[in-house]
Amino acid sequence: MIKLFEKDPYAPIQYVYEVENILYRGKSDFQEIMVVENRHFGRMLILDGVVQLTERDEFFYHEMLVHILLHAHPNPKKVIVIGGGDGGVVREVLKHDSIEKVYFIEIDKEVIEVSKKYFPGVACGVDDRRVEIKCMDGAEFVKGRDGDIDAVFVDSTDIIGFAKSLFTVEFFKSVKDCLTDEGMFVTLSESLHFHKEMVIEVQEAMKLIFPKVDLYTASLATYAGNWWTFSAASKKHDLRTMRREYAIDTKYYSDEIHAQAFMPPKMYEKLMNKELRW
Amino acid sequence: MEIKPELLGKKTRDKVIKYIAASDEQPPYLLMDGDVIRDKVAQIGKNIRNARVFYAVKANPDIEVCRFIAGLGIGFEIASEGELRILAQIGVAADRIITSNPMKTFRFLEEAVEYGVNYFSYDSKTEVDKMARCAPGSNVYVRLTVPNEGSEWPLSKKYGVEIEEASTLLIYARDKGLNPVGITFHVGSQCNNPYNWQSAVDKACELWETVEAAGIKLRMLDIGGGYPIRYTKKVVEIETIENKIDKALRQSFADDVEIFIEPGRAVVGDAGVFVGSVIGKAVRGDENWLYIDIGVFNGLMESIGGIKYNYIVGSRGEKKPWTVAGPSCDSLDVIDKKVEILEPEVGNRILIPSAGAYTISYASEFNGFSIPKTILI
Repeated sequence: MIKLFEKDPYAPIQYVYEVENILYRGKSDFQEIMVVENRHFGRMLILDGVVQLTERDEFFYHEMLVHILLHAHPNPKKVIVIGGGDGGVVREVLKHDSIEKVYFIEIDKEVIEVSKKYFPGVACGVDDRRVEIKCMDGAEFVKGRDGDIDAVFVDSTDIIGFAKSLFTVEFFKSVKDCLTDEGMFVTLSESLHFHKEMVIEVQEAMKLIFPKVDLYTASLATYAGNWWTFSAASKKHDLRTMRREYAIDTKYYSDEIHAQAFMPPKMYEKLMNKELRW
Repeated sequence: MEIKPELLGKKTRDKVIKYIAASDEQPPYLLMDGDVIRDKVAQIGKNIRNARVFYAVKANPDIEVCRFIAGLGIGFEIASEGELRILAQIGVAADRIITSNPMKTFRFLEEAVEYGVNYFSYDSKTEVDKMARCAPGSNVYVRLTVPNEGSEWPLSKKYGVEIEEASTLLIYARDKGLNPVGITFHVGSQCNNPYNWQSAVDKACELWETVEAAGIKLRMLDIGGGYPIRYTKKVVEIETIENKIDKALRQSFADDVEIFIEPGRAVVGDAGVFVGSVIGKAVRGDENWLYIDIGVFNGLMESIGGIKYNYIVGSRGEKKPWTVAGPSCDSLDVIDKKVEILEPEVGNRILIPSAGAYTISYASEFNGFSIPKTILI
């Protein structure tokens, strides 16, 4: 039996997966792409040695990245998805009938192609007529757009891996500028177990730019640290309140989950004051 | 990209990032970190006995910067009626102002006298005659030439006289009804050689004793400016320089001699961060050219004289050598060559630290490019 030792350079823990089959192995201009099969998790997408998704649990992450915003927003029509070449975020976005346009910005075309072939259940939305794929840097795409976007989803740890830097600030600023007055933004922001400082930095950077910033979490089995955070920002509306009825088909997200996913206020305050002692 | 602390202090970095995040101000502009100015002012003169510090306004004459410095309690060194008017606007008292310009315009001299300024430097008979007429009875001090080796901006050729002539000029000033009080020198701006001050102090001591023999009792030594700041190269610490100066002073001068220091660059240089933007990129021959909206004519004039700046971009691109050029269509408007910078995108912001001194004060609107606004943070 082949074993896959995950190579996450930032995690203080290492996961090992048994590999039944290697279905694909290739190198794009940007990264090494691999698709393997595991008895428990099913097919797994691995980029540069780090597990991005597994068939078994991808919905936790994709649903949570998308549906909080799309229920807090009163009427989302146009959205941008940055990263997430596997198409999982796009699939979730398209569950909302109000959506008229999805700009799907993935720098690595090959990830999209590999996902379409090996993860049809995840990539099923990418060829939808409402989806416009652009293979470019997401930070460049959002720059200088008119403020016509209702929500921006960042499915890439890379784009915010520069917390507190000039890059992050410029990126957040251009995200804010591309949004309508009711616009919202969410990005993955690491684990509360392992990278609390980075979560704080992302929250701080967001607060410099957006009037409303919040933090919610979900438990993700295959991401190191498990207790992952989503940093969300909004120009007008509070994100904890649902402004649309929950009427889509999901496995994890629900109106109940929406109500309990956010960090409790006192704990949030402690986190930001660096009073969480772990 | 993380900004390395050696390029920009952590506190300044955070303030700059915060400003950029919160503000809708369009680049280019110059951010001045008041906390850095405060720290520098607290440091300068600390290790020199009986010292008074006068900020050389020419380094950065922005009114808010001057107001902030005035609030820190130090004095000012000025050279023109324009600089005097800035100080007058913020209500700096005349006894906190000196002028070390050895060749003053008539208008400046008249306005300075009217305002009550009472310290004037000189290095010629014509200036004595001028001052005797326009500023009779004023305190005057003579400018001595001193070695300028090791300074990036040597000055001594333009001003200053040798000991013998300086002595003659002090006596001449007394005879013309002025009050000769001291000696000044300047080791050159951005001087990284502490021995320059030492030999200058020795030379000043020789002059001091010469005129004392002629019956003139001096009471003040103005050691000019010249303290260096870090651009891309490490420089000698202010503390080291001052300890050296103080040691030389204690050896040669009595305890009650007043020491004047006129720092400009050292006060405001490190406090300033230019925020500009990348306006274009090109490959010409085998050179990568990077065009930015701050150039030689609207802020980075000192690059022509050899000052090397650092550049910070918020980019995830590759590091490459760049020829950095300003926005104007003059071929002189090239700021630097072979600078390693992460490849930015057009429209990205570019930060230039250590830009607080001799930047905006030199800037013009040549070719229609505006002078960056100065903002105190």
